[in-house]
Amino acid sequence: MDALNPVIELEQIRFGYDAGKPVLNDLTFSLHEGQKVGLIGYNGSGKTTLLHLIMGLVTPSSGTIRVLGRRIETRKDFLKVRRTIGLVFQNADDQLFSPTVLEDVAFGPLNLGKTPKEARRMAMETLESLNLQGFEDRITHRLSGGEKRLVSLATVLVMQPKALLLDEPTTGLDEKARVRIAFLLNHLDISMVIVSHEYDFLKEAVPRIYSMKDGRIQYDADTGALHGHIHRHPAERHPHRL
Amino acid sequence: MHISEGVLSGPVLVSGIALAAAGTAIGLKKLDVDRIPRAAILSAAFFVASLIHIPIGPSSVHLILNGIVGLLLGWGAFPVILVGLVLQAVLFQFGGITTLGVNTVIMALPAVLGYYLFASLVGRRLRVALPAAFACGAFSVLSGAILVGAALAFTEKHFLKAAALVAGAHVPVMVIEGIITAFCVAFLKKVQPDMLPGKKD
Amino acid sequence: MIQEPFVNDTSPMQRLDPRSRILMATAFAFVVALSDLLSALLPALVVSAVLMVISGLPVRDVLKRLMVVNGFVLFLWLVVPVTFPGTPLFHLGPLTATWEGVLVSARITIKCNAILLVFIALVAVSPVATLGAALARMRVPEKIVLLLLMSYRYIFVMETEYQRLARSASVRGFRPSTSIHTYRTFAYLIGMLFVRASARAERVYAAMLCRGFSGKFHSLRDFSFSKKDGIWAVCMTGALLAIGAAEWMH
Repeated sequence: MDALNPVIELEQIRFGYDAGKPVLNDLTFSLHEGQKVGLIGYNGSGKTTLLHLIMGLVTPSSGTIRVLGRRIETRKDFLKVRRTIGLVFQNADDQLFSPTVLEDVAFGPLNLGKTPKEARRMAMETLESLNLQGFEDRITHRLSGGEKRLVSLATVLVMQPKALLLDEPTTGLDEKARVRIAFLLNHLDISMVIVSHEYDFLKEAVPRIYSMKDGRIQYDADTGALHGHIHRHPAERHPHRL
Repeated sequence: MHISEGVLSGPVLVSGIALAAAGTAIGLKKLDVDRIPRAAILSAAFFVASLIHIPIGPSSVHLILNGIVGLLLGWGAFPVILVGLVLQAVLFQFGGITTLGVNTVIMALPAVLGYYLFASLVGRRLRVALPAAFACGAFSVLSGAILVGAALAFTEKHFLKAAALVAGAHVPVMVIEGIITAFCVAFLKKVQPDMLPGKKD
Repeated sequence: MIQEPFVNDTSPMQRLDPRSRILMATAFAFVVALSDLLSALLPALVVSAVLMVISGLPVRDVLKRLMVVNGFVLFLWLVVPVTFPGTPLFHLGPLTATWEGVLVSARITIKCNAILLVFIALVAVSPVATLGAALARMRVPEKIVLLLLMSYRYIFVMETEYQRLARSASVRGFRPSTSIHTYRTFAYLIGMLFVRASARAERVYAAMLCRGFSGKFHSLRDFSFSKKDGIWAVCMTGALLAIGAAEWMH
């Protein structure tokens, strides 16, 4: 699979919020088409920063970022990146700012210059693909935690990104919602990077997990060793009948 | 600090609308569209904060907070307070279609005046900033009450006594707003000084 | 919890174009606010009561709400009758209530409540989301509409945030009283609310940028002015002309 085209390439990225200890230290990472990667690490290991860097929300002090083979430097480059890569934020209340679900999901397509009619159609299709039909007129702030997360995912998927970045997609969710999201991500046909501190969840969602430590991604470490003891499968004998 | 429908005369209502429209236009001009999400979320925070009951003796009062709104948003106070009043009208059925202009001016004009009078002092060291913040909070309520009185008095000269009573009734609120504004500024100076006006590096 | 108690999907008002409802309520409010004769105000009160009945909202809840909202009017009743000069009506200790004062208070009460009833029946039956979209279609500046819709959205988030803060204060024994400690605590809670709002604003804005926000606000909703809206508009105009005639032809 690695022979396929790279979607995101980071080389020797350095980043720090102040003069002190760098958050990212000579980090190198690439994501190829169709690849699904999980990144695990403690709070403050730079996972979220890494995602924000790819989206151009923060600027590295050194290093290069390439998206679809093209070097990304200027603000304008990043505006294009934001149409190619979708980021699902950790807190769904940060992502969903419109009063109703339909308006929120249609926000991205409208920004891409689609007509209201097209945007509405795309939004409805995306909601349907996530089994969220009937949600369009729901008021966003009255959704449950799991529903908010799914709608957040819809707001990003509707823009048909080439890759998906997810920041702690399970924070504050109960077991059932967690299993549903893992199953969904596992079956989505799109490259993705998922950042989480929950090994069990990552294991369900993606085939490959790296750990982050000291501002770098550890490629040599055996991630299985991160998690020696056995957990029972949350959905018991029917993991995929949700 | 809120005048009901049906009290004020036509000329007062129309002047209120004209002043509010002008202030809002300036406020919107100074508020770039990429600052709107920030103004909106602060506006939501102000809305919630103004619902808090603050005890005073056996009773309690609601905060108006227009002093802090002015300090944090400057001219942005006009559109933010206008929107706050619309939300109040709909969510609490306060109505206020004809009085939207007057009520916006009553709260937003003192906020902007307070900003010009006190913002630079609030940006200084604590010994200057705290009294200035107190003054800003109290001043904004006082001038709001004076505007309420003026709107009533211009409507009907026999409302003058009622207007004086309205202003008098706001004295305790003035003091409390002053205290809360001062502590709030002290808090922000420690925790997030870049939210306050003044030196930015 | 902040709620929208009169938002009602089954109300026949919901089938009217929200733009025309906003316009009708505004026109009614101004005509009534500018009228002074009881011969105009009483018919206006009747019109507002009729609209309330048609809207199908629970009358008891609406009346309860009106009681709360009439605070300022109550204050006027306490002050105006005894401070307004005119023919004495009765004495209350050292105070004298006048006919004129009572009449002024009565007029204000009728005006205020007629306008409020129409506002609830025509406007408050719709959620803010719908009203915002309607305003956008009425050429209200898009910055104001965006400000309104986003404030509305985050009121609920901020309320939860405040409750969380207040709870953490109360489990540590905070009991509000008339004291500097109380005022300082509230000021800190409010200050913290602003700090959190500010931090959240950064994240929300970042999330909007990631979805291609470039400063333009687009509304999805379209409203159509139907024949029914036309009939309503004609009836309302007729009623307002009649009220206006009673006021100004006198």
